Amino acid sequence: MLIGNYVRCFQSEWLKKKRSLGSWLIVVGALFTPTIIVVARMLHRGKLPALYAASDFWTSYWRSSWESMAIFFLPMAAILVTSLIVQIEYRNNAWKQVNTLPLSLTTIYFSKLAVVLVLMAEFFILFDVAVYVSAMVPATLLGNVSYPRAHLPPRDFVADAGRYWVASLPIVVAQYVLSLRFRSFLVPVGVGFMTWVAALAALSWKDGYILPYIYTMLAYLRDDPKTRITLPASQLNAWAIGYALCFTLAGYLLFVNKRQKG
Amino acid sequence: MSTRLKESQGPDFPNAGGRLGDAAPQFCLETVGLSHRYAEHGSGLTDVNLQVPEGCIYGFLGPNGAGKTTTLRLVLGLLRKQHGSVALFGKEFSKHRISCLANIGSLIESPSLYEHLTATENLRVMQKIHRVPAARIGEVLELIGLSDTRAKLVGQFSLGMKQRLSIGLALLHEPSLLILDEPTNGLDPSGIIEMRELLKKLNRENGVTILISSHLLSEIEKLASHVGIIHRGRLLFQGTLEQLREKRQDAGIVTLGTSDDLRTLQFLSGQVSGARIENGCITMPCLSNARLARINRQLVEQGIDVHKLVAVESDLETIFMNMVSN
Repeated sequence: MLIGNYVRCFQSEWLKKKRSLGSWLIVVGALFTPTIIVVARMLHRGKLPALYAASDFWTSYWRSSWESMAIFFLPMAAILVTSLIVQIEYRNNAWKQVNTLPLSLTTIYFSKLAVVLVLMAEFFILFDVAVYVSAMVPATLLGNVSYPRAHLPPRDFVADAGRYWVASLPIVVAQYVLSLRFRSFLVPVGVGFMTWVAALAALSWKDGYILPYIYTMLAYLRDDPKTRITLPASQLNAWAIGYALCFTLAGYLLFVNKRQKG
Repeated sequence: MSTRLKESQGPDFPNAGGRLGDAAPQFCLETVGLSHRYAEHGSGLTDVNLQVPEGCIYGFLGPNGAGKTTTLRLVLGLLRKQHGSVALFGKEFSKHRISCLANIGSLIESPSLYEHLTATENLRVMQKIHRVPAARIGEVLELIGLSDTRAKLVGQFSLGMKQRLSIGLALLHEPSLLILDEPTNGLDPSGIIEMRELLKKLNRENGVTILISSHLLSEIEKLASHVGIIHRGRLLFQGTLEQLREKRQDAGIVTLGTSDDLRTLQFLSGQVSGARIENGCITMPCLSNARLARINRQLVEQGIDVHKLVAVESDLETIFMNMVSN
């Protein structure tokens, strides 16, 4: 019964995101970097034959695709998409309708959160596919560029995407809690941007890993010898999951104890 | 509880004064001692005892800011309850929130619609939750007259269409109780008539109990069988529309035009309280026809000519205004 209610509530929440700005942002955000890479490579096509012949083509291509994504686009997407999805209820004055449905507040809270988390997973899947397609486009369109000779490591790609997803969890959940709490879209987005800037500044601080918005950046920079934060990947994941759980619990308590529900 | 309220709770309100735990099932909705204070401005509700009999159309009447929306929000659990209790279908709401809400359709203030979706998609969002067959969506669209909107997004709807769709959402799962907060706000006259007819039909054919709030007495008078009047957070009257109409006579006045008003007033002072000279005539509270005839006869016997004797019943508007201004 409980699970049935939860599934139906999730399906209902999933319908609401149709044609919404949040769902468009997922598509645009995931395709943006691969598109830019394709355009840049087509403009500098002279260097491509050597690049595509390299034995580490996929590893270096993957890493360069993730650079702007991990530092900038992923945190931005997490901040904006989460706030926009919650904002659907505020903008349409629909919280009072949601809260008078025969559903427990727990079901409402977790099903909406699940929609955001699944949307973020969709973001990673789209991005992975777009990275692969963007690598193939120059080879397909340009006669002097052959298809990459290096073997595609799909498991590494999926594992990396999973790590980035985990690293984005504290941002997603914190933004979710803020968006539920404040009616104005500007509050969660403003706080999100400021916290992201703080995390960016903390990259040069050896204890910067305590900041919840830093983990997507660290997931990318952990192999960089210049980085001052030297924490094993497992510990980074543990910190990210720990923060996400704390934020989820705090947000849940705030949500169920809200004095005015819509 | 006000005196008027106590007076009104006659045979139509057999459970009046009963504790919530003993709530008789004939009340679809019952509140006992419902009070609420807003931290920001202090105002709110004081001891509201709402009793909505099953199968009725209950008009919840009051001027803007009287406490209608606050009461309905408390009933639906949208505001955290501070004092008192709410029972729906004989069950205490706080203990049976989900089962109570499963039998309620509501529209509180402005429509709650997803404007980036079509009417069908909005209904589908609710259909998933209420577990009603998909065919019901078409039935509801037909009922509210929106079946030809197809791919049109709700954001492009007129206010009247939005209001109708909101009613459709509230009706989707065929609830036993419909709670509508000022549903005719922003509707044109034909839209108001359509909605009224729809609500009457639902009540008559499907037995749906309807609690409808409004600040327009004329609207409630045409629709409701029962009325509750709230002002400044207090329930001033509760009863059937007939009971309210009876007050029309009670609140009426009699105007007398005579050849000697001062002597007439002197004569009346021993018989009728509240008689006074006003605008060259004598006015006094409404009396029975027999008593009025007797006074007329006695005045003539005392040599006072009576050239005007008019009994004016108050209209409901005046009764309402008297209630809220006192």
